[in-house]
Amino acid sequence: MSDQSDKTNISRRNALKLGLAAGVGLTVFGMNARIVMADEGQVLKVAHPAFDQDWSPLRGGGRTFRWNSIWWASPMYFDSQGNIKPYVFTSWESADNTVWTFKIDPKAVFSDGSKITSADVKGSWEVASMPNTKSQRADQVLSKVKGYAEISAGSGNELTGVATPDEGTVVVTLGAADPIFFMRLANHIAPITKASQSRGSDGEEIIDWYKPDSKPVFSGPFKLTSIDIDAGKLTFEPNENFFGPKPKLARIEVTSIEDNVSATSLIKSGEFNAHTELITSTIIQDLGPEFSAGPLIPTSQHFWFNISRAPMDDPKVRQALIMAVDRDGLFKASYPDGPHKKADQILNSVPGAENSGFEPYPYDPEAAKKLLAESTYGGPERLPKILFVGISGPAIQAAAQFIAEQWRQNLGITAVDMKPQQDSYAGPDQNSVQIFRDDVGTRVPDAVSYLAGSIASTSSNAQNKLGGYKNDKVDSALAEATTKAADDPQRIALAQEAQKAFREDWAFIPWYSQAMSRWATKEVKGLEKNLDWQVVEPWNISIG
Amino acid sequence: MLRYVLTRFAIWIPSVLVVMLAVYALAFYGAGDPIKLIFLRAPGDVAYNPQRIEAIRESAGLNKPFIVQFGLYIWNLLHGQFGNSLTSGRSVWAMVSAAAPVSFQLAICSIILTAVVAIPLGMIAALNQNSRIDYAILGSALFLWAIPAYVAGPLLMVGLIVLLPGASVPYGWGGILDVRILLPLLVLSFQPIALIVRQTRAAVIEVLSEDFVRTARAKGVPEIMVALRHILRPVLTPVVTQLGLIMITIVNGAIFVELVFGLPGLGRLTVQALINSDYPVILAITLIGSFLVMVSNLLVDVLYPLLDPRANDSRRSR
Repeated sequence: MSDQSDKTNISRRNALKLGLAAGVGLTVFGMNARIVMADEGQVLKVAHPAFDQDWSPLRGGGRTFRWNSIWWASPMYFDSQGNIKPYVFTSWESADNTVWTFKIDPKAVFSDGSKITSADVKGSWEVASMPNTKSQRADQVLSKVKGYAEISAGSGNELTGVATPDEGTVVVTLGAADPIFFMRLANHIAPITKASQSRGSDGEEIIDWYKPDSKPVFSGPFKLTSIDIDAGKLTFEPNENFFGPKPKLARIEVTSIEDNVSATSLIKSGEFNAHTELITSTIIQDLGPEFSAGPLIPTSQHFWFNISRAPMDDPKVRQALIMAVDRDGLFKASYPDGPHKKADQILNSVPGAENSGFEPYPYDPEAAKKLLAESTYGGPERLPKILFVGISGPAIQAAAQFIAEQWRQNLGITAVDMKPQQDSYAGPDQNSVQIFRDDVGTRVPDAVSYLAGSIASTSSNAQNKLGGYKNDKVDSALAEATTKAADDPQRIALAQEAQKAFREDWAFIPWYSQAMSRWATKEVKGLEKNLDWQVVEPWNISIG
Repeated sequence: MLRYVLTRFAIWIPSVLVVMLAVYALAFYGAGDPIKLIFLRAPGDVAYNPQRIEAIRESAGLNKPFIVQFGLYIWNLLHGQFGNSLTSGRSVWAMVSAAAPVSFQLAICSIILTAVVAIPLGMIAALNQNSRIDYAILGSALFLWAIPAYVAGPLLMVGLIVLLPGASVPYGWGGILDVRILLPLLVLSFQPIALIVRQTRAAVIEVLSEDFVRTARAKGVPEIMVALRHILRPVLTPVVTQLGLIMITIVNGAIFVELVFGLPGLGRLTVQALINSDYPVILAITLIGSFLVMVSNLLVDVLYPLLDPRANDSRRSR
């Protein structure tokens, strides 16, 4: 009797032990069960660094834009080598660089099998141009098309410069000749959607038209099958009617993971295999060099001087500040393991970037000290405090600290302050900020476009960060260059001339040329990106 | 009691209006034009022109004077409309009502965990004052108190991956019955537990010297009964007040925990709204936060007489 009791009765301590063991067992089993599910099939699991509430492909920019090529087709696209490839448009021609004729691939269809027509192209471009759509880059693609100015300013809703003589032809008339207009279209800035679904009768974009509940059709290799914006989760599955090659992946899952430590842990543990943009100071050590490797793109990061603010209004001070910085050390302090490359000039990865004639700024502490003494300030003690903004990430902080330390050692400057905010900086010294850390770049492999957005007096960079910078030599060279054909050597030569003229104004500290990281583990194959941040051929992605 | 609740509510309305006005003014005059931010968020060159920005601002009604915009906001609020997000165009109500349940569930679980763990520990420490047990409990509480959530979260997460190879990262939200809630719940409860342990201990020590405790012990009441019947009840009054305040802190302040563990709650939404200067969303969250303060305080006030009949008597005598 007593034996039986011993076998059936469990002491409280043993019951607790059993309960704990069961709890741990269930937890571990449950966790492993999730991993098994995650490993089934060709599933690309992507971590997205923000909790974005809007995934409309018509925004033309931002983080969500980086996955546009997954589900939308563009007119043409650039491959990772910068070569233009046909996509929805199979041909493009213009006799005068003002009227352009594009032919649509007769096989191009949406995910419901219906044809992609010229009316869809026109409607997509129109809705992207409407101010309420808040497209961040429609200007870059369509600003020269007749009628764009009116739509963009809210006084029209039709691109009068776009004609559709038949369902397979789009004829675009520009307000002024643009030899590289075809290049501007070769991206996902204004992707081709089914206009009757994305655009309402008032011409405006229909809110949430792209969500599965609205039963949308898609033009890209994958279609959005589920979206939970509040939880930050999206799922894409192959578009069985895609008119291009058959996608290799069974599914793409995008999940918002804001915290870099969590994202790194998830990728390390194998639960995720790609990221939209993961930049940490230990990324190479954490995830290996393959993870963030990639080709250089026409984008670069520099420290821009506001030449209208003291002490940067004195050219000798600017020259001294630049010459006092060892830029080899600057690059090593920030990206010692890559994937980026030290920059000596603005242009990179565009025709004309090599052998441009731009002589790199020298590192000469003695000459810098002499220049500062010769300046109107006479030395470091009378300089106002130097304020940086845009000092936000660890690598950026390392670079800015390096610069400040070089100034302290070589020039005796000690009053330097740094703030993370950039354009929204609202501290008490906001009217004294003299240095802006920021990137500049272009979405087309063209030197003129690159410099037009960086140093031309009409650019936002010149007007804001460079403090209203204007150099007539720069402006006239770039203006003349824009009239030349894309492959005309004069176009490139004039851009190089503009860059050389800018050099003599000593208005920036060159930092690095940006690599377009793949941000995917080595198991992910075929994930190549182009200068537009897009996965070049999403149908080629595979795992394992 | 109803009159009391209504009076509290009447006092709450002007307070909230002042808070809303302050928040609206900060958003309006402060840094970060939401429309410009939409453009600046994108890397590389963004070609926006002032005309286009102005057209967008006009369509969103952001070109109207401050007081008109604020008045319109309050008017819409009175009609049950929280407006739309400036960045996504989504209904603010839909966004907030999707996020709030996550934060509330997490907060309630955290409060329960805190009460269940911290009150007994605090009592044990007090009943063993200046012993090793007391020092161990107090020391642990101090340790937990010193670790901020943004350190504890990543550390625990990375630690879990290192210690349990093959275990998945506890990321995401699957409800309160999902195993992934454990780590965020622990991290969120660290500081409240530390606080309540110390407060309970101090309160119990104070009550231990009261006459009624001495009397109960003199009558031969077992120690466990003394603790539960005579000590715990008066101690609970200040502790419940503190728990009410902690509840507000947890709902409003779980930002790091929600970011690190990927919980789609109000903290996460707040960060996003602040980054985007999306003030219809910021205002809605502020409104919820202040409402929560009022409801928590009200609940604590209602609970007082239940825990300590003397509180009811004093109110009546007034």
